[in-house]
Amino acid sequence: MSETIPELKRLERRDLDVLLTYDGGQNFIVTYDDIKHACPCAKCSPQRNDDESSKILRREIESMPPEKPKVRTVGKYAIAFEWVNGCSSGIYRFERIWALANKLDPDDGKSYVHGAW
Amino acid sequence: MAEPPVSIHNPNDDDSSNQRASPQQQKQMEQAYAQMKRKMSMQEIGRKIKHKIMVLSGKGGVGKSTVSTGLALSLAQQGNSVGILDIDITGPNVPKMMGLDGRRLHVEEGRIHPAQGHLGVKVISMAFLLEDEDTPVVWRGPIKLGAIQQFIGDVEWGELDYLIIDFPPGTSDEPLTVAQSLPDIDGMVIVTTPQDVALLDSRKSITFSESLKVPVLGVVENMSGYTISGKTAASSEVTIAGPGGKSHKVSSDADGNFSVTLDIFKEGGGKDTAEEFGVPFLGALPFDPGFVRGGDDGVHRIVSEPEGESAKAFSKVVESIIDQIGESSSEGLEII
Ligand SMILES: Nc1ncnc2c1ncn2[C@@H]1O[C@H](COP(=O)(O)OP(=O)(O)OP(=O)(O)O)[C@@H](O)[C@H]1O
Ligand SMILES: [Mg+2]
Repeated sequence: MSETIPELKRLERRDLDVLLTYDGGQNFIVTYDDIKHACPCAKCSPQRNDDESSKILRREIESMPPEKPKVRTVGKYAIAFEWVNGCSSGIYRFERIWALANKLDPDDGKSYVHGAW
Repeated sequence: MAEPPVSIHNPNDDDSSNQRASPQQQKQMEQAYAQMKRKMSMQEIGRKIKHKIMVLSGKGGVGKSTVSTGLALSLAQQGNSVGILDIDITGPNVPKMMGLDGRRLHVEEGRIHPAQGHLGVKVISMAFLLEDEDTPVVWRGPIKLGAIQQFIGDVEWGELDYLIIDFPPGTSDEPLTVAQSLPDIDGMVIVTTPQDVALLDSRKSITFSESLKVPVLGVVENMSGYTISGKTAASSEVTIAGPGGKSHKVSSDADGNFSVTLDIFKEGGGKDTAEEFGVPFLGALPFDPGFVRGGDDGVHRIVSEPEGESAKAFSKVVESIIDQIGESSSEGLEII
């Protein structure tokens, strides 16, 4: 997590995905479905803990009508997406966006644990 | 623990015995070394924690601990890694609110490990030191401040996005010690209630912040109104008798649901203070009996009702705080 990642310079919202341009000119595409599925909030994260519930979450997301989200920066460390359909609670750290761009598991293979719901 | 970097000569092969440190000097050197190590570790901690926020108020019982735990949980809900440091020695109640009642300090290899409360929030509290929570210790000043420094320097927080620090009421020594020990504090959140007395005291806090050289992130007005909701006939009008004999007319929606927020104290006081002092108003939190229950049964309101009015109010306050710390956010990023 503390490994340094290049700076995100540009985020273009396209119909079904974002085109990300990093410092140095590298381009990446991340689909809106992938972004929604990787929501780091305390309600979505536990759903990715096991394959079955993760798949259910994925299907739910894929059945939503396509939309372009509103995107805003959060402090100096993250961005957030606002959807009409789908969860808008998550704050995506730049590390998380970088992981998604590189098709890495943004949860680092760790299941999400918290005290209670 | 590593050896002190002070070489102590073996008295047997040392012929110049006048160079030998006396036991007292040796003790002083060891203390200086421990102090230095702690200072370095506090700087290290400072680097690993991205944002540090102090929560203060002039007056006691206005809801600092409720706000501290609420902010921590609200931030954790969004996927941030969060810690709370409860520095109140006389009445630490954060563990109770975080479902960690009765925990004791967990020390491993000389490092203090936080307990994990709701939503994985890491908690360190002075309560973990107390034998019996109902009989708070009266610590003498220097010991108390030393304990705080130790609490900051010796805790293994790991990497955190946010550390929330909950203080005892008033403008005492604790905030100063923390501000001097922990580098790069983002700022302080001042909690008030709409009552005038509480307001007057929060003014003190703001002046106090100037003397600490820690910026005020803003004022949160707690217990600012009481929301009543209910069900009646669809699309009808309900009259509710509020405090002070004031009646409120509300209309129900097509399903018969209605809700109205009554001012129990004078509303808008926090906003007035904020305006008067030119500091940001971060938002108002409703009076919600669920907080009291949560404090008693250890399930915080935000955990028991993550979509409720109070949780929503907290996420608004969090948003304003993030705006404050964000400064000229990610200047380089162009969003199209
Ligand atoms: N918005 C609210 N609605 C209802 N009750 C509240 C609210 N905020 C706080 N309380 C209740 O008020 C009491 C005092 O709150 P809290 O312990 O958070 O205050 P504090 O400022 O930390 O107190 P102290 O100065 O003793 O540290 C608690 O019983 C708490 O449950
Ligand atoms: Mg308190």
